[in-house]
Amino acid sequence: MKEAILKLTYPASCRILIWTLCLLSDGTFAQMPEHDHSQMMDKASHQMMHPQMEVCKGTSLECANAATPFLTSAGQLFLIWTAGGAVSLSHSADLGMTFSTPVEIANHQKKLDVGSDARPQITVDPKGNIFIAYAFFKDSNWNAQINTARSTDSGKTFTQAQALIQGGASERFPILAADAKGKIHLAWIDKRVVQAANKQGNKKLGGSIAYASSIDGGVSFQAETIVNQESCECCRIGMALNPQQFPVLAYRGIFPGGVRDQATQVLSFKQQTSQGLPTKANDGVGPIQRVAIDHWKTDVCPHHGPAIAIADTGTTHVAWFTQGSARQGVFYANSNNEGKTYSPPRQLGNANRNVARPYLLTIGKEVWLVWKEFNGEKAIIYLQYSKDDGKTWSIAKPIAEAVGYTDHPLLINQNKNVFLSWLTRAQGYQLLSIGQAE
Amino acid sequence: MKRYLSMLAATFFMLQAVQASESVKAYQNGTWAQLSKANLGEPLAVHFWGVTCAPCMAEMPQWGKFLSQNKQAKVIFVQVDDVPPEMVQKMLQRAKLQNANNFSVFQPFDDAMRYEVDPQWHGETPITILINKNGQWQRKTGPIQFAALKAWFLKQ
Repeated sequence: MKEAILKLTYPASCRILIWTLCLLSDGTFAQMPEHDHSQMMDKASHQMMHPQMEVCKGTSLECANAATPFLTSAGQLFLIWTAGGAVSLSHSADLGMTFSTPVEIANHQKKLDVGSDARPQITVDPKGNIFIAYAFFKDSNWNAQINTARSTDSGKTFTQAQALIQGGASERFPILAADAKGKIHLAWIDKRVVQAANKQGNKKLGGSIAYASSIDGGVSFQAETIVNQESCECCRIGMALNPQQFPVLAYRGIFPGGVRDQATQVLSFKQQTSQGLPTKANDGVGPIQRVAIDHWKTDVCPHHGPAIAIADTGTTHVAWFTQGSARQGVFYANSNNEGKTYSPPRQLGNANRNVARPYLLTIGKEVWLVWKEFNGEKAIIYLQYSKDDGKTWSIAKPIAEAVGYTDHPLLINQNKNVFLSWLTRAQGYQLLSIGQAE
Repeated sequence: MKRYLSMLAATFFMLQAVQASESVKAYQNGTWAQLSKANLGEPLAVHFWGVTCAPCMAEMPQWGKFLSQNKQAKVIFVQVDDVPPEMVQKMLQRAKLQNANNFSVFQPFDDAMRYEVDPQWHGETPITILINKNGQWQRKTGPIQFAALKAWFLKQ
């Protein structure tokens, strides 16, 4: 715990100096040794006091563990959250200053998936039609189910939440995006392949990546496709649309030897039938592209999925967490050839702190990147941006901080205005204006 | 007679459930400091697991077997998912660990809780922290090698 002692005894100016050095060295400063610390438990670390928060009970936003925003081009903010076993939604006409009375969409009590990488999903079309998705645990063996619901009156009422997959094995971590034509793309972790293998006596860990789409606002979905049979089962998926409006997924794949490294995959399903279906089940499933050889050979649940964003130029930007033998921490890389090759990974944040939860947003060829650092006392959100498609980056600067429980930092935009969406137990939900794209 | 027997059996299982429920202690901010302080001077393994973590669930019965064969080994189990206590109990019973030294969170296992254990732990599970009698510690990420764990306890 040498780093803990540093934080307690070094003055702030020294910490800033260390941080600056870290930036100047392009993020390669002081990587931590892997896993085995063999250091003394010191009293100093035990004296670090954290606020003793009482357990927040109830379904209100104040007690939420995860909140996901959707900001329309007209400036209407829709916020969906999970708290007290319920999935609720509210909207704000003043960028989060005030919210409408929440509408409870579903309630699964303690069966709701509130894992550290789980969050409800939302998309809103220009007419105010809302489509949401979330997961809950449907049985005592922790098999999960993804439910979806719709609203056609801007969130005043919702359809009864229903299963995306009827009688499925286990589905978790939905991620969705609506393209320019209103087609909803939905991907998730699906365990049918793993369960089938285990039933046949072939011991198998992990999950698979599944994908389906809807051309009627989520009323119905085409038959799902398993696009990669080998993925981590406990990390969220990232999804972005490329300039051709095809979804590109980023996720923690499982590569030969049980290596859980990051992958991206372009799903270019072409609508060649009148129903919008691909002509063949696997037509359009792109190759599994490895973002970096981190070589994280492990059977753990990292609970830490990647972020992805695609610029108008087509450049794919990815940020992720790894504890591989090649590198440990949070990293960023980009690809200008649809994932065939990626730039060398660049480490984000101060390696001596607990760096986590990167998130990306692109506007034109600008790239906005945030992540969270925990220094033993508080969580600090750092921002870095690139005006040239990820070639050069601004100096990282802190833009928000909070003590106690904090959600992942998220980025959204209204046209060229960029906002940080961040839920914290101490300060509640915040939509912070953090800059403007050129 | 059958009716009385089934009532007796139901009562027995209810009592067992209540007893088991009481045996899982609450883990919160500061618990780590108390645990490590209380156990200084003897080797200790603290295993962090979660009921929604498939690799954890696959491994837990092996922990039950290890403890039944190594009764002197001091192991504390901490369940880190925000789930109903009865589900934690069920999983512990399946692994024959209901009488072990068990803790569980009753709120999100947040950054501060993880940092207190290890500033470089990002929440991946399972992990095991091995603390020797001098307070020196190391983090083992992923399923444990039980032969190596036994050797570590014997070496202390």
